[in-house]
Amino acid sequence: MDVQQGTLALMILRTLEVLGSLHGYGIARRIEETSKHRLTLNYGTLYPALLKLEQEGFVSTEWRPSENNRRAKYYALTAAGKKQLARETREWRQTAELIAAFLASPREAP
Amino acid sequence: MRQIRALLARLAGMFTKNRADDELKEELQSHLEMETAENIRRGMSPEDARRHALVASGGLTRAVEAVRDRRGLPWLESVAADLRYALRTLRRSPAFTAVVVVTLALGIGANTAIFSVVHAVLLKPLPNRDGDRLLYLRQSADGPGQANISFSVPEVHDLRAGVPSLGGIAEYSPWNLTLQGDNDAVRLDVGLVTGNYFDVMGLSPVLGRLTRPSDDGAGVPPVMVLTHDFWVKRFSGNPAIVGRQVKLDGQSVTVIGVLQPAPFFPDRIDALLNMVVSPHHVSAMMVQNRSHRMTEVVARLAPGATVAQARTEVAAVYARLQNDYKEAYNPGSHYRIVVTPFKEALGERARLTLWLLMAAAAFVMIISAANVANLTLMRGVRREHELVVRAALGAGVARLRRLLLVENLVLTLLGAVSGVAIALVAVRLLISLAARYSPRAGEIRLDGVVLGFTLALSVALALLLSFIASLPREGTFASWISAGVRRMSGSLRKQRLQRGLVVAQVAVSVVLLAGAGLLTRTMIRLSEVDSGLRTESVFAMDVPLLQLSGGPSSGTDPMAWFRHIMELDVAAKEQYERMRSEIRALPGVDEAGLGSSIPLAASMMTFDVKAEGQSLTVGEAVPRADVRTAGPEYFRASGIPLLAGREFTSTDRAGSELVVIVNKTFADRFFPGADPIGKRIAWTGPLLKLSPISGDWRTIIGVSGNTRDGGLDAEPRASVFMPFAQMLSIGGALVIRGDSNAPGLVAAATRIVHRIAPAAPIVKVLTVAQIKDQSVSPRRLNAELVSSFGILALIIAAVGIAGVLAFSVSARTTEIGIRMSLGADRGQVQRMILREGGVLLVLGLVVGVAGAFFATGLVRGLLFGVAPRDPTTFFGVALLMLAIGIVACWIPALRASRIDPAIAMRSA
Repeated sequence: MDVQQGTLALMILRTLEVLGSLHGYGIARRIEETSKHRLTLNYGTLYPALLKLEQEGFVSTEWRPSENNRRAKYYALTAAGKKQLARETREWRQTAELIAAFLASPREAP
Repeated sequence: MRQIRALLARLAGMFTKNRADDELKEELQSHLEMETAENIRRGMSPEDARRHALVASGGLTRAVEAVRDRRGLPWLESVAADLRYALRTLRRSPAFTAVVVVTLALGIGANTAIFSVVHAVLLKPLPNRDGDRLLYLRQSADGPGQANISFSVPEVHDLRAGVPSLGGIAEYSPWNLTLQGDNDAVRLDVGLVTGNYFDVMGLSPVLGRLTRPSDDGAGVPPVMVLTHDFWVKRFSGNPAIVGRQVKLDGQSVTVIGVLQPAPFFPDRIDALLNMVVSPHHVSAMMVQNRSHRMTEVVARLAPGATVAQARTEVAAVYARLQNDYKEAYNPGSHYRIVVTPFKEALGERARLTLWLLMAAAAFVMIISAANVANLTLMRGVRREHELVVRAALGAGVARLRRLLLVENLVLTLLGAVSGVAIALVAVRLLISLAARYSPRAGEIRLDGVVLGFTLALSVALALLLSFIASLPREGTFASWISAGVRRMSGSLRKQRLQRGLVVAQVAVSVVLLAGAGLLTRTMIRLSEVDSGLRTESVFAMDVPLLQLSGGPSSGTDPMAWFRHIMELDVAAKEQYERMRSEIRALPGVDEAGLGSSIPLAASMMTFDVKAEGQSLTVGEAVPRADVRTAGPEYFRASGIPLLAGREFTSTDRAGSELVVIVNKTFADRFFPGADPIGKRIAWTGPLLKLSPISGDWRTIIGVSGNTRDGGLDAEPRASVFMPFAQMLSIGGALVIRGDSNAPGLVAAATRIVHRIAPAAPIVKVLTVAQIKDQSVSPRRLNAELVSSFGILALIIAAVGIAGVLAFSVSARTTEIGIRMSLGADRGQVQRMILREGGVLLVLGLVVGVAGAFFATGLVRGLLFGVAPRDPTTFFGVALLMLAIGIVACWIPALRASRIDPAIAMRSA
């Protein structure tokens, strides 16, 4: 299943909030695991999204050695990113509730 | 905010591409390695691990591409690439680029310059507050000099009371005053205004205050508001002038403020004052006499009212006035009031000339654009191979179109920049032209609106040029490429378009040349007009000595003011005679005379006149004549011939028999076919009792030749000369005839005048040639401008014809080669090409002459002494176009005939 447009940014931000600073591979792994491998992220989807978040100032980046001593680019949530995450989370909840309520409404007699 | 930040980041991203690419590759690589390591940890073989990781990545190159698109601004980058490409292409064909840019620069420059004038003089909103609600009221009547007779104060009062749709009606009376400086005197053109004037006009001061209703009437101190121009010119923009006292016609006047820059109508002025400065303006005579018209009227529409309403109401009031006061509105003279928006009144003298020039400039633009279009089409054909290749490499039609557009934009914008440079120079010339026609000439500049016009013009041209080139439909490229087509040239449609453009160029050139020819003939006719003076070696000085303002303040007996003026006049006459005799004694002076005004200039006064024993038929307009005075030597000095009778002599003095000399127009009007000498005439009409002139009978003793006093293009008006000694010396002019050393004489005469009357301003010193030139030079400038546009058009059109034919020859090289090898000789080939061009030329001529037939009728008002459809001009223009056109055809025809059939066919 491909990731839905617009939701990937939210997933990335949430991942960074839960796990703290993380590299691209880590983010991809985490999202795939959380989705119980229903989502697969190829590079062409993940990296443009990361770049967009960086351009918007929601994440900051830093090169440093990884756990097994490779150089890797680490992404971390900025203050603006935290705010954005809160906002998007709220919006998603509302949308989800709305859709759920809508789908739960009984079919009317014709 | 977020979008802006991202946009900035992406803009920055365009410039750090290489480093970012390296970094990205490293990041993706490390991702890949981590994933491979993880796969190995799960038990895969290293090869499998790496393969799996690669599959999951979805392709590294694709990822890099995706990130790149996100990093910069892809569309901007591709436009930048197009731009680079366009610049490179244009640099590779410098001749094409230079011709196109120069052609466009001439067209765009001409249009920018003329538009800057049209915009400032006709279109731009007035600087006045709500300037579009200002109206100008004009009263006129039949007869020479009656086109704008202005209003009397009682008329203004009646309008004010009876026209509710006019929210404010202000009075403005043009007047002259002498400003006495510390060591000079200048004659000022001023307006005497009512206190509501500035409020109605919607003008504000830049310094001090303006006049207000409390400045109205008699018994208040005289105050002066300087116009911005005069403040800068005379007082160097010194703010300290406000509050100071200046001497005007001998009285002290306080400068209370400086007005914002604003145009005035009908003439430029130096200052505005309250009425009290002129005792005459607050006298009963001025305020109560209905026929005493010397007040201009401006009005402001009341809130919610329309011009149409104002017109209806004014007409109603005026009809009532004409009924109630028959003596003030002679029915035969057809008195009428016209209400015009003030902005239109300001532009009325310039309108026809400016639209003519704008049309001429637009024509030049059309011709240049046609030429550039043709060049582009031809170049397009040569480039088809390149376009096919680019299409084959994956460029879509939209992309190719954009490439063309960027290229054409580069060309037109280069043209625009050079055009603006041309316009900067041209505008300076045009300001001096416009100043003759419009009070708003000072507002002409290349401002944002004008540059916006230029930009819009360039972009429109670029669009036009890009879409005129036909690109193949999407998908057809492939078939061409597979068919091995290198060019898709010579499509019928394209050739027809090229030929159509040439015909249009020739036609438009003919129209322009016809206009130029007519204006040139007008100018020549005008300079050939007999001014009425027998000699050119005459110069004239306007030296007004009598200062009509000042003296006993009014409100008292108006006769006291008259007596005061009469006393001044005796002194003035003495001074005039001393000046005259001293100047006469200068070496090189042949004659010197005195008169009320210089010859060939309009008289300041016009009165109704009657002849003894003649009565008017009912409905006939009251005859009027210009009032002039002349000393005994005036006619000889001016070179005005005496056709009958005798000149004035020193015995025609105050107290002797009243005598006059009339001009030929007057004699023909009153005494057709009879000898006027010895007949008697008298001034008459309601205005007479306001003037120092008596209505006594005066005997005609001589008839003078006519002079063109209203400009060379105006018919001579009836004039009556009275002896200088028998009339108040209003005005005052010296006419001096000398040898050829006019400048030396002017200096010497000026010194004499200054010595005898140090406080007198010399208004102007003009030679007869200069006076004549005042009539001729605006027309000359018109003729020169339109002619240069015409010549420009001719050159561009000639290049156009030659270019299209040359292209046709090169496209038909093979065909011509075949014809020649089958036996056609050089002459036949030449004739074939000439015929091809000749058809276009003749078609263009026919269309052009038809167009000119229609167009020249529109400029009738600018012509003099030549009919709008003057056959000589039309014939000459057609001949000129034909001659130039044939030469233009000959060059490619000659080239065609030199084609070597062997080479032509081998290279096919």
